[in-house]
Amino acid sequence: MKRVIKFHKAFLPAVIGSAILITVGLVGLLTMGLNLGVDFQAGINQSVQLAFPAADVSYDGAGSPVLSIGEDTLSVVFSGAEVESRTASWDLRTVGTVADLASAMKAEGLTMSIRDGAGLSADLLVPTYQGDYTLGKGSVLVHRGPKSDAEIYGSIESIREAVSGIGSVSVQSVGAESSMQYMIRISDDGMDKAFSEKMPALIRSALESKFGTGKVVTIKTDYVGARFSKDLSDSAWKLTLFTSLAILAYATIRFKLQYGLGAVLAILHDGLIMVGFIVWTRMEFNTTSIAAILTILGYSINDTIVIFDRIREDRKLDPGAKLSAVIDKSVTETLGRTIITTLTTMLAVFSLYIFTSGSIKDFALALLVGMVSGTYSTVFIATGFVHLWENIKNKRQPKPATGQMVAKPAH
Amino acid sequence: MNKTKRFIIVLVVLAVAFAFLLPSIQWYALTPKEDQALALGSREQIREFAWRMARTDLAEIERLVASSDAGPLPERFAPVVSRAKKIYKAVGITAPETWNAKAFLAAFDNRNDALAELEDYHRARVLSLKKLHGSAVQLGLDLSGGMSVVIRADLEALEAKTGKPLSPAERDDAVVRAVEVLNNRIDKFGLTEPVIRRQGEDRIYVEIPGAADPERINGIIMGRGRLAFHIVDEEATASLTAYLETNPLAINDDMKLSDPSLIPADTIVRKYYTKDKYGLDEWTGSYMVIKAEAGLDGNHIESATVSSDPVTGQPEVVFSLDKEGGELFYALTSANVDKTMAVVLDDRVRTGARISGPIQANVKITGFAADEANNLALILRSAALPVELIVESQQAIGASLGEDSILEGRNAILIGLIAVFVFMLVYYKGAGVNAAIAQVLNLYLMFSILSAFNLTLTLPSIAGFVLTIGMAVDANVIIFERIKEELREGKGRKAALEAGFNKAFWAVMDGNITTIIAALFLSQLGTGSIQGFAVSLAIGNMSSLFTALFVSRLLFDFNTDVFKHKAVSISWRVK
Repeated sequence: MKRVIKFHKAFLPAVIGSAILITVGLVGLLTMGLNLGVDFQAGINQSVQLAFPAADVSYDGAGSPVLSIGEDTLSVVFSGAEVESRTASWDLRTVGTVADLASAMKAEGLTMSIRDGAGLSADLLVPTYQGDYTLGKGSVLVHRGPKSDAEIYGSIESIREAVSGIGSVSVQSVGAESSMQYMIRISDDGMDKAFSEKMPALIRSALESKFGTGKVVTIKTDYVGARFSKDLSDSAWKLTLFTSLAILAYATIRFKLQYGLGAVLAILHDGLIMVGFIVWTRMEFNTTSIAAILTILGYSINDTIVIFDRIREDRKLDPGAKLSAVIDKSVTETLGRTIITTLTTMLAVFSLYIFTSGSIKDFALALLVGMVSGTYSTVFIATGFVHLWENIKNKRQPKPATGQMVAKPAH
Repeated sequence: MNKTKRFIIVLVVLAVAFAFLLPSIQWYALTPKEDQALALGSREQIREFAWRMARTDLAEIERLVASSDAGPLPERFAPVVSRAKKIYKAVGITAPETWNAKAFLAAFDNRNDALAELEDYHRARVLSLKKLHGSAVQLGLDLSGGMSVVIRADLEALEAKTGKPLSPAERDDAVVRAVEVLNNRIDKFGLTEPVIRRQGEDRIYVEIPGAADPERINGIIMGRGRLAFHIVDEEATASLTAYLETNPLAINDDMKLSDPSLIPADTIVRKYYTKDKYGLDEWTGSYMVIKAEAGLDGNHIESATVSSDPVTGQPEVVFSLDKEGGELFYALTSANVDKTMAVVLDDRVRTGARISGPIQANVKITGFAADEANNLALILRSAALPVELIVESQQAIGASLGEDSILEGRNAILIGLIAVFVFMLVYYKGAGVNAAIAQVLNLYLMFSILSAFNLTLTLPSIAGFVLTIGMAVDANVIIFERIKEELREGKGRKAALEAGFNKAFWAVMDGNITTIIAALFLSQLGTGSIQGFAVSLAIGNMSSLFTALFVSRLLFDFNTDVFKHKAVSISWRVK
């Protein structure tokens, strides 16, 4: 038999440690507040890229083919009644220069008149972020990125300067400096009902008047209105509350009230630890963060229940044993499982953290923190609470507990 | 349950899952891009495509007849030829040896029948592709690119305008009108079919896949519906219709004629619409030539209701005009008695009515079915009491960003899966293989459930899958650890497996049920992305219950009974 680790001795230090961490988190929350994302603050988030106008593409034949430029490929889809259906596509990494691409496209009846940078690699072309272009006689402008660091223009400051006249603005740079991608955020004070309709065009024209016509590409636009964000925060609170209640109810039915309360206490602990983490790292708080917190509630409860299940089983095996001994035994027995499950889940989430970007990356990071907290709270907080509860109960009415124990051996 | 039975159950589950996955495989892997583009078009675009294709095809077949070409029809006509064959058979005529143009046309009574058959063929082909797309896994806007907008109908503003509180029925009517106006104008997008859905009391959700240009889209969504009455030029309508029968490509999508002299200079061409059985606008296939200048603007309408004729009981639409409008309308109707007047909303002809005589303030239009009358009254009211729309939230993501996200998600799933595999194989040796198989099946089942329930795959739902990969191993871990304990106590393979699975059962169930409870609550948090994550988490949990408790058990038993394994390869220390 494995050596039993005396977990119950660590209950008190653990509670003190957690209390300190949670307090620090709450102090941060009250003094600094959350770095609320676009979901919770009325306003517009527009990502733009500064680029160079590269070429005009037009088409003079029958039908209206659709052009789309991706990270690596440029494709034109011909479909409809007037033309023979087909898809023409070129690999931008292997096609050669922009001029080579233009001559290849000529063979399909597409005209690409180059404005600038004919000798540059076609790989520099900027993707068609705003959806695909329908080609026709009128030309469509495609852009390219800078050919070298020397060509890079624009900075957070210059962007802020350009759009500062529109409203209260904050600007962030997205990715590497050479990509010249920025996120512009303008908050909506609710005074102008047509805010969301006017803003994208206003931002574009402000940037174009600063950097030159045709040099601005919009990547994506998000807008959230005041009422919408209020509804969202309301439902977020309700959700956390009802999830906790549902878990409490289930755990009480399957176990006992003190187990249910212990489990809920543990998950609230995890939620607060995560909020503290999000506050102090100034990570953006959005719907994805709520999802991360609620996921950890589910994850941590899973952990807790497995240990409770074992405690119940071990108590049945040896009804006379002291609760602290049973808890130590059960936690030790399930320790292997607790560690391995946390490890495998962390492996998967870590892969999410490495390969994704933006809000999902933050989500993965918050999950990693929550997981550590969830495992820890299962072992020390949830079982510690059950221990405390039964100690208090036994002090109040010690007699019936021993009385029952005498009756058992006769069985 | 014996092994064979359990094995059959697993096979059946896998087969059913494959059947659910099949449409997704067919659509994403086997349908060429140009066919996808066609199928993703709105129903109207498909109708238009079929209309043109049928006329182009028939023109070609007729040319072949005229040039007395006796050779068989080109290969691309094979599907319509087989339809003609059926007609021959039904009438009892022996089929000709070579299917040339003449033989093909002989299958039909007249030109219109042939046209209808060809149109039906083209339409059915694209619609079946559309159906295939509908039953495949849908990609969310963050993966496919596109734009979603939540719009609120400003009922307070409407109350302020009418000067009295709106009754629940009036509020409902106002939102229905707003949806109607949106329906009407939003079809104008290039490639894909938009989604317009009412959300809650006063919100409308609009999703436009593919397009992500808020500047352009906002203009179209938020502009007001424009209703007007135009006088129809019936001669020009008749001559244009006849001309288009043989020259279907003479008109383009924007209703511009390649030869403007086909119609009088002061007129324009508009399409005539009705509602289909789903309440969506459907082009009737006919065009109308109307005066370019509106006879009367819709903002003169004060109210519009549906009533029934006291004598015949037929439904009729009655609308009243303000004073100025009444005078204009009187002048218009006096000058155009016996002509047709078209009701045009946002460049679409909604109905045409014959002017029986001069009319002033109260206008009565008769001759519809009850549904049509209600629709017309709704359209007229949308002009009388325009509802202001407010954008509540908006998201626009380009298609190429979506492709990047798909790549990111795929890598995260693959590397996550591999990392977990390696860990399980190293730690649990032989039993790790078991867990790995269960994981692959789990992923397979998750995608097929996604496909079966027509759920949308988004980046957060991919994140949910990745998380589930990690968490689903948990069920295996609980069971394996239990088996190890039983082995340590000296039990043999069979007994240890039995006891391990039985004792771990409730721990696994309780843990997963609580997670599913959390996931189900999460799925109620309005916004789509979180919902996607929660649903995939719940799906993953359920399918991992199946793979861990059922499939993995079967694999163990298989090794015990068929390969006569005596020991359990589950750990480096426990033999």
